[in-house]
Amino acid sequence: MIAFLQALILGLLIGAVYALMASGLTLIFGVMRVVNLAHGAFAILAAFLTWTLWSALGIDPLLSIPIVVVAMFVIGWLTYQGTVRFVRGSHMSTSVLLTFGIGLLLEGIMGFIWGNRSHTARTGYTDASLQIGDMFLPVAQLISAGIAVIVIVLLWLVLSRTWQGRAIRAASVNDSAAKIVGVNAQKVSAFTFGLGIATLGAGGAMIAVIYPFVPGQHDQWIARLLAIVVLGGLGSLPGAVIGALIVGVGESMATAYIGAAWPVAIPFLVIFIVLLVRPQGIMGTRLREDAVA
Amino acid sequence: MSAMNQPLGQTWVQKATGPVLWKWIGRALLVVGAVVLVLFPLSPSMSAQNTVILALVFAISASGLNIITGYAGYLSLGQGAFLGIGAYTGAILSRAFPDVSPFAWVPIGGVVAAIFAVLLGLVTYRTRGAAFVIITIAFTLLVQFIARNWDPVTNGSTGITLPLPDWPRELGNWPFHLVLVALLAASLLMSWWIRRTKFGTGLIAIREDEGKAGTIGINAPVYKLLAFGLSTIFVGMAGAVYGYYLTYVDPIGMFAIMQSLLIVLAVILGGRGSLWGPVLGAFLLIPINDWANTVFSGGNFRLVILGALLVLLILLLPAGVLPSLEKLRDRLHTRGTVGLSGKRLDFDAAITTAPVSRPVDPDKPLLEVRGLVKSFGANRAVDGATFTVPEGSITALIGPNGSGKTTVFNLISGVMTPDAGEIVFDGKPIGRTAPWTRAHHGIGRTFQITRLFKEMTVLENVVAPLRDFEFRQLGSGAVSGAEAKRAEELLHFVGVAEYKDVPAHALSYGQQKLVELAQVLILEPKLIMLDEPAGGINPTLIERMGELIRELNRQGTTFLLVEHNMPFVLGLCDPIRVLARGAVIAEGSPDAIQKDPLVLDAYLGDDFMLEGESKTQSVPTLGEGER
Repeated sequence: MIAFLQALILGLLIGAVYALMASGLTLIFGVMRVVNLAHGAFAILAAFLTWTLWSALGIDPLLSIPIVVVAMFVIGWLTYQGTVRFVRGSHMSTSVLLTFGIGLLLEGIMGFIWGNRSHTARTGYTDASLQIGDMFLPVAQLISAGIAVIVIVLLWLVLSRTWQGRAIRAASVNDSAAKIVGVNAQKVSAFTFGLGIATLGAGGAMIAVIYPFVPGQHDQWIARLLAIVVLGGLGSLPGAVIGALIVGVGESMATAYIGAAWPVAIPFLVIFIVLLVRPQGIMGTRLREDAVA
Repeated sequence: MSAMNQPLGQTWVQKATGPVLWKWIGRALLVVGAVVLVLFPLSPSMSAQNTVILALVFAISASGLNIITGYAGYLSLGQGAFLGIGAYTGAILSRAFPDVSPFAWVPIGGVVAAIFAVLLGLVTYRTRGAAFVIITIAFTLLVQFIARNWDPVTNGSTGITLPLPDWPRELGNWPFHLVLVALLAASLLMSWWIRRTKFGTGLIAIREDEGKAGTIGINAPVYKLLAFGLSTIFVGMAGAVYGYYLTYVDPIGMFAIMQSLLIVLAVILGGRGSLWGPVLGAFLLIPINDWANTVFSGGNFRLVILGALLVLLILLLPAGVLPSLEKLRDRLHTRGTVGLSGKRLDFDAAITTAPVSRPVDPDKPLLEVRGLVKSFGANRAVDGATFTVPEGSITALIGPNGSGKTTVFNLISGVMTPDAGEIVFDGKPIGRTAPWTRAHHGIGRTFQITRLFKEMTVLENVVAPLRDFEFRQLGSGAVSGAEAKRAEELLHFVGVAEYKDVPAHALSYGQQKLVELAQVLILEPKLIMLDEPAGGINPTLIERMGELIRELNRQGTTFLLVEHNMPFVLGLCDPIRVLARGAVIAEGSPDAIQKDPLVLDAYLGDDFMLEGESKTQSVPTLGEGER
């Protein structure tokens, strides 16, 4: 029972970090119908930025989150303006391939800069645990999950309370109608892309503390994040949160009860099962497909 | 230029006969390329031989991928997995039967890969677009996971070592090379065959608009499954040869996403949808890949090169090398000539050819809709709609915007499934059948916003519909004798025959409507459903459309049409069904409808009146609906 609870709580904690990372992916898809396959690579990039701030300047990885978030916003914004902008409105496969190429490019560049060996930002609390009864809760993951929840709530506030946020939601419901009422689709998209990569950046900073990371890991991350947004329903923010918690718990349970090799397979199994049983995901809805061409 | 004085309409003919020279240049290049390729192992450089063998493997894979990605429009990042499945099949069997040459397992590698592909196709038959790409990535990683963890069969992460070649050393790479060349030839032959048959046209229709393809009788799931299987069969075979050539297979090498990426890149670089493009792409790409691997010891440099190449290709040359060259050639050829686009429609062709003739029984309802319900979330778009369409009538379905007319159309044509209710057509319940089955039964429809297959020519669009489904029909020529003649007649009938060789996207909206009508007519449907036939087109065309409908109706075709142009409806249709909030609130003759207080209140407005007789009159539309 204790082992089960332990696995459950660990799963929920890491699930919160996944939710933060997946929120950007689902947001970007919602607004511009772009599946950003470079998302995993951007996460690793944020982890390296965090690691560099920590090792070179001694800034605590979790305290560096604001800096990393701003840097990642700029990187995301530039990526949109320099590349994604030109393939908006073209066939889905075009943007998929473009972002896949960006992911590879980033992986190679990170390899040049930081090398291909495994990194971790080992802080004083990396190995610390909080003991509650017979359960051990890793401090780094507790703090990370707390920050993740805060950032997700902030993101939700931005989306629901600000003009920019309403523009984003308008554009994700109906792009052409949003244009008609004066939403500049390109600006909104650039902002969304930046925002999506920025929230991902916060998650990347947490990875730097929680897991060892290498540039080549990005496809593992993209598989996990894709599983989450597919499960939750592409484009749905609440869906991404629920999906992330399910995948987090699933991985943690698989480690505890099936074997150490299995968590890796969870995302692929999730993707297969969801797309078979309920292709629109948990929170996704099917709309009439013929209305707006 | 003298070309300016040519009669209109010759441009496209000229394009077809002009570039004889280009054709010969192309053929000569092909022969030279083929000879060099076949004899390549004469080269003294082992590393060059190795590069060509890899390029052959990837050319076969890319040529296969082209069938689903280029023709059918489904992007797959899992093609590398089928190469791996073929290689593993060969390796596992070689380990089990050490006395047999690994070449014996090559066909089995192909069959196993095709089986996996068909299974994947079955799993994904409902997924499109982004979801499909995602599932192909998941598939690759899942297969890799199985290869890594199913120790007894795959020997886990260590992989399997194959026997060394058992032929004399002097033969060198010849056996590998020739087998791969043969596989590439077979693969190209298949690709060429597919492109020129009904099967290929169907795949391209699926790429352009899968939903629409269903409504003109194309059984998309069967087409896609076949395409999946065929796209991997030679790839699996090449994989078995590849594993033998490497003498070693392991999960990391065989099922890396990078393999799939190289294949996708080859297709895009060369040009998706073109026969030779993927081959050209592979032979351009593999040397670059090798160079990055050997000169810069691979790793990060290779990632940067391939990543940058992919990004630049998508941004700068999305069509690929071959199609871009072809376009350039066509531009050079048609320079100074005039297109057709500005020309007035030619209506001299009086409606003479009678497309079909069938007896009608006006007392029998051809279509019966009972208690139809369809909700989108909390919105009940169709809420208990019940009405009939008498055989031989021109029935109109009118009502305010958002009253559910188009949704009713979608439910009848099978684009959507109703939540409740019955649809009976010609005495048979069809409410749960697939769109293509309904098309085969004799329901044809057009769309409010035209949905032609934009990259096909007008003629190809018209011959694309299928009246039934049979496996042997897949192999018949795409545009063949009798059918092509019939299609030209129909194009003549709707007055756009001159445009038959123009790509559909080059036509104006109104012209597209007429072509879409011809496309429906070739199915010889008992019932034609038109969604706003008069919407967005000019008065002359509206008149033309009315004449066409009346003429076809005289010959026995029943019509159901949705239209906001009230003079058009009242002049043409009888009976009329009025839809409001998803249910039929009134029905009857035009006269009765115009006076019905319910209709005036819900739709027409109480100031609605038509002056005098207004048969097919197309004066400015009254009662636009949003009153």
